[in-house]
Amino acid sequence: MTVPALKAKDYKSGIKAVWCPGCGHFAVLSALTKAMAHLGLVKEQVAVVSGIGCSSRLPAYIDTYGFHGIHGRALAAASGLKAARPDLTVIVAGGDGDGFSIGGNHFLHACRRNMNMAYIVMDNEVYGMTKGQASPTTLPDWSNSKMTPHGTGIPSFNPAAIALAAGAGFIARGYSGEPSELTRLLVEAIEHPGFAFLQVLSGCVTYRPDQKQWKEEVHSADSDLPTDDPVKAAQMIQAGDGKATGIIYAKRFPVWQPENRTDAEINEIEKEFLL
Amino acid sequence: MSDRPSEAISKSYSVAITGSGGSGAVTTGRILLEAAAQCGFQGLMTRSAGPQIRGGESAAMVRFSPDPVECMGDEYDLLVGLDWRNVERFADELPLSDKSLILSDPAAGEVPAVLRSNGAEILEVQFKKFASGLPGGRLNMVALGAATRICGFTLEAMEAGIRAVLGGKGEEVVETAIQAVRLGFNHDHRPRITLNAPGKSDDHWSITGNQACGVGALRGGTRFVAAYPITPASEMLEWMAPKLEKLGGSLLQAEDELASINMIIGASFGGVPSLTATSGPGLSLMVEGLGLALVSETPVTVVNVMRGGPSTGIPTKSEQSDLNIALYGLHGDAPHLVFAPLSIRDCVFTTQWAVQLAEHLQTVAIVLSDQSLGQSQAIIEAPPARELPLARKVESEPGGDYQRYAITSDNVSPMTLPGTAAGMYTADGLEHNPHGTPSSMAVDHRSQLTKRLQKLEDFDFGDDWAEVQGEGRRCIVTWGSTAGVVNEVATWLQAQGSAIRIISLRLLAPLQRDRLMDLLSDSDKVLVVEQNHDGQLFHYLHSQGVLPANAESLAQPGPLPLRPGRIIRALSGGN
Amino acid sequence: MSKDDIVRIESVEEFLVHAMELEEASYEHYDELADTMEVHNNLQVAELFRKLANYSRLHAEEVHQRAANLDLPKITPWDFKWKCPSTPEAFCMDEADYMMSSAKAMEIALFNEIRGRDFYQQVADNSPSEAVKKLALEMVEEENWHVEMLREWQASMQDEQPQEDLDPPNMPE
Repeated sequence: MTVPALKAKDYKSGIKAVWCPGCGHFAVLSALTKAMAHLGLVKEQVAVVSGIGCSSRLPAYIDTYGFHGIHGRALAAASGLKAARPDLTVIVAGGDGDGFSIGGNHFLHACRRNMNMAYIVMDNEVYGMTKGQASPTTLPDWSNSKMTPHGTGIPSFNPAAIALAAGAGFIARGYSGEPSELTRLLVEAIEHPGFAFLQVLSGCVTYRPDQKQWKEEVHSADSDLPTDDPVKAAQMIQAGDGKATGIIYAKRFPVWQPENRTDAEINEIEKEFLL
Repeated sequence: MSDRPSEAISKSYSVAITGSGGSGAVTTGRILLEAAAQCGFQGLMTRSAGPQIRGGESAAMVRFSPDPVECMGDEYDLLVGLDWRNVERFADELPLSDKSLILSDPAAGEVPAVLRSNGAEILEVQFKKFASGLPGGRLNMVALGAATRICGFTLEAMEAGIRAVLGGKGEEVVETAIQAVRLGFNHDHRPRITLNAPGKSDDHWSITGNQACGVGALRGGTRFVAAYPITPASEMLEWMAPKLEKLGGSLLQAEDELASINMIIGASFGGVPSLTATSGPGLSLMVEGLGLALVSETPVTVVNVMRGGPSTGIPTKSEQSDLNIALYGLHGDAPHLVFAPLSIRDCVFTTQWAVQLAEHLQTVAIVLSDQSLGQSQAIIEAPPARELPLARKVESEPGGDYQRYAITSDNVSPMTLPGTAAGMYTADGLEHNPHGTPSSMAVDHRSQLTKRLQKLEDFDFGDDWAEVQGEGRRCIVTWGSTAGVVNEVATWLQAQGSAIRIISLRLLAPLQRDRLMDLLSDSDKVLVVEQNHDGQLFHYLHSQGVLPANAESLAQPGPLPLRPGRIIRALSGGN
Repeated sequence: MSKDDIVRIESVEEFLVHAMELEEASYEHYDELADTMEVHNNLQVAELFRKLANYSRLHAEEVHQRAANLDLPKITPWDFKWKCPSTPEAFCMDEADYMMSSAKAMEIALFNEIRGRDFYQQVADNSPSEAVKKLALEMVEEENWHVEMLREWQASMQDEQPQEDLDPPNMPE
């Protein structure tokens, strides 16, 4: 019996999203389900793992296995799951606060550990769920939060630069306003053997209405990208405006996955304690 | 009544070996313990060291007996001083009496007054001079030879001990050590021991508490570990890493404890029984994750090898002061399992039980081991394998309307694993309804809270919740590693015809309140013994209403171990 | 999408795959808007979007019927020939707002419907296949009917000012 091919909407759970109307995350959800349909992923063989925040609600809206964990720890939970269950396709989703602030350390080490998973950060440069505070990617002079009335005054976090420095082998940037391109990037990220980092500029209509401007600012990355040269990638990332979409860097590194050998019994192991 | 029970038992012999770091005190102690094992004794070796890698004070304490040894005695029968540098830093850890013997090299200078003050006999052997006559000879091996004779061990047993400890360093090292030991052994002195060696047993293990927790974890089915190095838990992880690989599992060294706990939650969600090991500061970091495991009903086990706290505290020394965080650390109403192994040998069973109960009840298990168990080497009777009928309830063929958090008769909901069609769900730290969909409705919150509580409260934990020894109207309640010294006290008192009952709690949460109250019902004197400052168990038991109003607390913080005499004094109303 | 973009569709099969994708995305998009308006208790606008979703669903159904016995090519999501970042009838999300008026909702819907119509018109203008041209023009006609209908609805609506939110946003975590 052949199973009829699943369509994008078959990957949606049917649970109504709590996202604000107009939120960029809807486009990410839609692009992700299209990518999953394109790849023909078997639903029960997929786990979508997230932390806390608006974007981290994503797993509930996808009809696969899901894990909606705690703030900042999605990559850790996903790494444990992938180590224990290498047969699963593991997709991690979250926001800029979850991934770059409270979960920053896990981001660094997930990049260098290079387990086979895709990490999608829906970056809107704001904490939406706690009502609009500055996040690590917020520009220093954004003063619309009561918590930082003069702006943060500190330079914003450059996710692509940090991913590169931490050893990620796949770095891409997408935009929720370009869902077709985003679908392609998601497919590439999921297919990349190793840790694939995809930053998605996904605007917050409620707390960052200024991000409607992104439509004018986002542009395609240079045609000679992606590169597999980290020096060139670093130059492109540092010289860029952070609004170029496409795959910036793609290089294959050894994928970390525990080797599971089964050639012993416990009572054999215990013999080492005999005198 | 004498307050020196270990002397009165006189079925054990205690040796302390001291020296400055690098002098080989710990290696000497390890070999002495192995030699005792070769003679058929059971035994225990603890160690004391400063926090630096080497160079400070260092001591090994060895106690052996034909019977199980689960604590150190009141004083040492033999003190071997390799040198006396820095010894004053832990003189209070080396109680001696007028029955003690101090073995000393005159070249190291006079025995410090603080050690001589109780009138111990001093025997001089020229360790350094003998050693220098032998190419590559080390003075600690000469001292070991002298100690071998004093302890009444045979040279054959000692050679086997040397091979067990130094065998990995090559034949030349072993041969040189044996020659140096002979020099010390043949020096003019006599055995000072009255114990009869039982003869080597094929059923004895040489193991540390950290390794024993590792064995228990593997027996319980643990196949994934994620952890961050921390003193004094690291050896458990180091031991487990290659063993897990051989059993088809793995160990992942995480970037921090926040990662460790979340990694094992992820792995367990995937269906693999998972565990982490840490110590107080790491447990503090993991607490939020424990709440997630608890609410998402993802089974995990945390072995917490306690050290002196709070904060960085005294990382290299033991204390039972993490009971409060283990019981109460989680926010919200968060019932879970808390265990404490009662000896190094019991680390095997308690950890196995914890892992399997966490799996069976889909909850969090915290195992409170401690430095004194974890980093001590013991010679024990091999713990027999125990088959426990406790496994995770997995739903492999879910029906049409699968509910991950269905309310069932035992409140444990069969769990689907990724890969199972028709059973897909999103695990969540948000409160949820039976389907797993986030819900902030009072009815869902209440029913899920009740479910998570009742699955523990209604479970029959059987007889393993505590070890109960003796009868009588006097009763000591204790928990974890302190059970060793309390049992020794009981054995001594009972031998003297003095009735006492000992209750050593292995399962601390959920507290087996009715069973405990039943045991305490005819007691007119209850003493709660533990190794912490504030009396954490004492207050816990009071808060649960199980103690009579006149119950007393003996709470002594680390780093000094509780010794039998201290408990005897407390029982007789002194301090 | 600029007027200079040339959309060149070669076969009926290829055209139908495009039309199917466009119409399905359209109703999914309207459904999503309707859902989120329901979630945010803007029921009037939710109802409007649901109605639009149902029209698009009918439209998609029609395309399906036309394609019933044909062997359709598989087109990867990013290789469709429209020259806009999304499908033509499912864009403009960030103009949405949970407080929006029906008039604003109509504006969004019109924007989408006109883009859909324009896409079909371009296909008709540029396809080398007569069969495709014919089909595309039929679709243009239907879209025109949609657009007209929406304009009528819009005319009947008052241009309300966005109201003040008496219960400002609250966040769940």
